[in-house]
Amino acid sequence: MEKIVARAKGIKKSYRMSKRNIVHALQGVDIEIREGDFSAIVGPSGCGKSTLMHILGLLDRPDEGHLEIDGVDMSRLKEKKAYRMRAKKIGFIFQGFNLIPTLTAYENVLLAGKYGGLRGSERKSRAKELLEILGLKDRMNHKPNELSGGQQQRVAIARALMNDPALILADEPTGELDSKTSLEIMDILIKLNREQNKTFLIVTHNMEVANTCKKIIRLKDGKNAK
Amino acid sequence: MIEIFRNMWRRKFRSFLTIFGIAIGIFAFTVMGSMALKFNKMIDGGKRYITGQISISPKGTSYTGGAGSATLPLNTMNEIANVDGVDKVGALVQLNVEEPNPDEASFSMGPMPTIYGMDYNSDYKNRNWETMDMKEGEMVGKGDADNVVAVGINIATDKKLEVGDTWTIRGKDFKVKGILEKTMTGPDDYVFMAITPARQMLIDSNPFLKSLQEQADKASQISDDSLAALPAATRDQIKQAKMFNVEDINSMAGVSWKNGFDNEKVSQEIKNKFGDKVIVLSPQKMGEQIDKASATFNAVIFGSAILALIVGLFSVVNTMVMSISERTKEIGIKKAIGASPGSIAREYTFEAGVIGLIGGLVGLGLGYIMIVIVNARMASQGAEIFLVDRNFFIEVVVFAFIIGMIAGVIPALRASKLKVVDAIREL
Repeated sequence: MEKIVARAKGIKKSYRMSKRNIVHALQGVDIEIREGDFSAIVGPSGCGKSTLMHILGLLDRPDEGHLEIDGVDMSRLKEKKAYRMRAKKIGFIFQGFNLIPTLTAYENVLLAGKYGGLRGSERKSRAKELLEILGLKDRMNHKPNELSGGQQQRVAIARALMNDPALILADEPTGELDSKTSLEIMDILIKLNREQNKTFLIVTHNMEVANTCKKIIRLKDGKNAK
Repeated sequence: MIEIFRNMWRRKFRSFLTIFGIAIGIFAFTVMGSMALKFNKMIDGGKRYITGQISISPKGTSYTGGAGSATLPLNTMNEIANVDGVDKVGALVQLNVEEPNPDEASFSMGPMPTIYGMDYNSDYKNRNWETMDMKEGEMVGKGDADNVVAVGINIATDKKLEVGDTWTIRGKDFKVKGILEKTMTGPDDYVFMAITPARQMLIDSNPFLKSLQEQADKASQISDDSLAALPAATRDQIKQAKMFNVEDINSMAGVSWKNGFDNEKVSQEIKNKFGDKVIVLSPQKMGEQIDKASATFNAVIFGSAILALIVGLFSVVNTMVMSISERTKEIGIKKAIGASPGSIAREYTFEAGVIGLIGGLVGLGLGYIMIVIVNARMASQGAEIFLVDRNFFIEVVVFAFIIGMIAGVIPALRASKLKVVDAIREL
């Protein structure tokens, strides 16, 4: 059996929108992700997919439940320490690419290395290597607005891989791409999973995307759907 | 670093306005600060002089001595010289080089060119200012003729005087024996000469003194024998006129004290004995007065400069708050990929600091240009009003950087405390 990368048990999270309107986004979700997994979380909008991803990505804290990332208990992790775990253990790929607009592709990737504590020379060579693998060798010094959507998402993938995280979370990674580019991006992720044994958890409501995954986790009304 | 400039470039107009706001503040700070520094330097020179002597001026004159018409009788000075602790008493005649002409009066920040007539024979020296450094030639003193002068650097520049030149003051020709080194203070605008010609010029400039002198001259022609033949009332008048002694005409006198004596006690002693005849300015009290005056001046100058800076500071705060709310998403991304709150706070504080620094450099540049131009114009009148002090300029730039960072701290802390989820939701 592969090593457990992330384990969540009985995760509950609610948001107080106003005095009387409390949204129970997650009402006791269990999830287990092992090294080398390539899973999708699917479900209708409002089922709590994004909330779960934020919690697994240490961007948000659960109200109740147990969370463990790479063998470390994160249930009571303070924000003051969370950033370090995010930098080293988690890689993010967002729907809207979310690159820093004032930085070039290369600098965007470097930044993640800086936060992850990589040394200068190591950082530079790794960023170049990743961009080369992702076919962006001659686009390295372009700003995000000079790149196509597919290229931007590939920069974001490089950024997510920079610190060799235990878990890569992708929130609708093809949401803003056309179907051809979507396939390209999914191919890249699949290849990374197959060849480098990277662990992916992909949030999507696109069943085509979900069907390329080895495992599908279904959510409904903030709970695991049977 | 490069990212900061790219971010500023993203909002060119706003960055320009912010930098301009800081630049105006720093400009005011540079210009007013340089003026205050110059003023303080002059004040310090004056203070050094005034605390080096006990100053005696006749009752009825202005506080600062000046060219009053009241007189300081020789007898009184001789008596003061006998007070316990007094070393020497030196009489002094001061008057303007040129008769002030209200029709052509030009507003001048600098001191007026002043004749400084010294009694060479008194051997009196200011305790803090025994000798003057000379740029050219020699200082006037014991043994010099009445038509020899030494001039301050501003006067030499203004009148284009060189050693050996002849210069006409109030219709009388003088030969320039020396030019003093720049002191940045009073003596730059002084003409040093013997007391006799200075005294005569003072008398000539004052109709009352002049008539007294003329009457005394006429009276002196009347012999004591013929005086006895005159009626009693006339006789008294003539006797009175005869009593006029030209050596009683003195603007003020400096009193030095003997080593080992407390100048405050010596001043008090003189005040006790001659308080009804003269004004005694003790070095200590005068020093305090000067400090008080310059403290007020500095407070006003620096207060207004600081005010200008605070306005600039708030414009930086405003810009940073705006640019952080614009960049909420970016901050969210950075935090999501592992930026520590500290690194976010540092980044934005530093960015604000750079804005302050650029504004500071621009403001300093503008201020410097202004200072140089104004000083160059005023130099011909010997009244440079700004001190060009490189250390002060460096401090100004560092200060601008710090001000920027201070302005950036609160917005930067706000940025660092942004909740990632909230920031990310803005995607």
